[in-house]
Amino acid sequence: MALPRAFKNVGSGGDRRRSEEKYRRRSMHEKEGRAGYALIAPTTILLSVFYLYPLLQTVVYSFTDWNPGNPGNTQFVGLTNFTGLFSETSGFPRALGNTALIAAIVVPGSMALGLVFAALLDGPFRGRSFYRTMIFAPHIAPTVGSALIFSYLLTPLGGLVNQALKPFGINPVPFLTTEPWAIISVIVFIIWQQVGYTMIIFSAALSTIPPSYHEAAKLDGAGVVRRFFSISLPLVAPTSGFLVITGLISTLQIFTQVFVLTSGGPLGSTKTVVYWIYEQGFQFFNGGAATAASVLLLVIGITVTVVQLRFLARRDTIEML
Amino acid sequence: MTLSLERSLPRTVAPIPEPRRRKPLAARVPGILRHAVLIVATVLFFGPFVWMVLVSFKSAQEALAVPPTFLPTEWHFDNYSRLFQIAPFGRFYLNTVVVAVLSTLGQVVTSLMAGYAFARLKFRGRNVVFVVLLAALMVPFEVVFTPLISLLSSLGWLNSYQGLIVPNIPSILGVFLFRQFFSNFPSEIEDATRIDGASVWQRFRLIMAPMATPMIGSFAILSFVYNWNNFFFQFIAVNQTDFFTVQIGLTLLQSQEGASNFNLLMAGSTLAVIPVLVVFLLFQNQIVKAISGGLR
Repeated sequence: MALPRAFKNVGSGGDRRRSEEKYRRRSMHEKEGRAGYALIAPTTILLSVFYLYPLLQTVVYSFTDWNPGNPGNTQFVGLTNFTGLFSETSGFPRALGNTALIAAIVVPGSMALGLVFAALLDGPFRGRSFYRTMIFAPHIAPTVGSALIFSYLLTPLGGLVNQALKPFGINPVPFLTTEPWAIISVIVFIIWQQVGYTMIIFSAALSTIPPSYHEAAKLDGAGVVRRFFSISLPLVAPTSGFLVITGLISTLQIFTQVFVLTSGGPLGSTKTVVYWIYEQGFQFFNGGAATAASVLLLVIGITVTVVQLRFLARRDTIEML
Repeated sequence: MTLSLERSLPRTVAPIPEPRRRKPLAARVPGILRHAVLIVATVLFFGPFVWMVLVSFKSAQEALAVPPTFLPTEWHFDNYSRLFQIAPFGRFYLNTVVVAVLSTLGQVVTSLMAGYAFARLKFRGRNVVFVVLLAALMVPFEVVFTPLISLLSSLGWLNSYQGLIVPNIPSILGVFLFRQFFSNFPSEIEDATRIDGASVWQRFRLIMAPMATPMIGSFAILSFVYNWNNFFFQFIAVNQTDFFTVQIGLTLLQSQEGASNFNLLMAGSTLAVIPVLVVFLLFQNQIVKAISGGLR
């Protein structure tokens, strides 16, 4: 094993050079490392201060009787806030139920319509990008403005919708101030806003399907409808899973639509979870209840995501087999 | 090879133009049906915006006329000047522009930097920090707003531009978009400049950031639209009219004018909606690309 002396010298010289090289490289890495920290610093620091720290506070405050207007004498109250959420007078179960109802109709509704439009817009034809632009516009328009348009269209006397219903012998309906029309109107409005988004995502998924699949099926005599259900639909399944997650997460956050259209009414029939949290935190200064509901919202959101991801992962592996 | 062959064949062999033949009616039915459905969809999805603009020029009576008129019988351009008398919409506009532009600028710069670092630089804790960001994406703003507002209050940032802008700046979505962009970007150019002795900063500033221009454009447009449309955060962070944005001003208008003056309400909505629709119509390809590409 012992090397001749001459070799050793060469070796040691080489070692020195190598260690210099190593040193230089390490210092380069260190420089890169320092630059890396500097580059991610703005995002991470701001995110920690304005996001993670309030998140931590949300969790801590949910076990206290924190009052945002008078934070001085905050007391630990255990699980009182959480049990209080489900008391009969809190109104929270109703808000949770409304949110679940909105999600249960908006998510599948906007996905089904979005997929139909994406399928209709698949492949080149005249006017395609015009139609896509028109259907997508509500998703990009500011919610407050659009909601004001809807409140005008739905107004009982002189509103366009009620005027259109008149020839059918339907008396003016006060859509936004009576049950169950208020929540139906809110749901229709949110679907109207969301369809453009689901359509764009489905369009992207459909455009990745090789045209040869459709051509082969066509040769075998499959019609448009058959090809849609046997080729397009199964191949956009993973996209659907993604849209279910993003759809559920975004409907959990509904506030502005309800605020402008109905202010949560009539009689709390359109109040959502976030609207309830807003009322507790900013009108009743009941910070404990507000943060407890926030924690619950967070748990629901994370559960939805994790369950969906699991489910999707399994389905993808089945597809690969 | 086969592709070029196929393409060159018809050009050399068949110079005779094929006569334009109309398809038989039965074959055109699906196409006609498709257009019919899409035209109805266009009316339902875009019609409300057209109606909004038309009504914004009508009188209050005509806005609720039975039966409705399509074009205003008399064009009331003064609806807009009345709007500016009712509430300082000029100020609201200025506030919205300041907040949207600076938030967008901040989001683009910080996301570009972080996206590059996560994609191209090696440093300890990189993956841990990135996973934390991933997890934070699952926490909607709506979960943290109560303590966030009391934090802003203790900083004295309620009713201030910095309060409206700074908390909006970190964009996880932006970091993802740029990380993805730089990860997919061939590393040869950067390696070459690295061998030539360019520092990280030089590489970032002179090579990588300029290369990302198309991505910066797409993200900036998307981010501007979202910042312009933002309502909930601005609504709870501000209660003085001096710092109202157009969206908050609209809800003020709604509570003041209520159900009586829909023409003014629609004029206000027009002011809020039209800039976004114009930006969208001009840059829709970038917006669509950023939305559909960034999320897969």
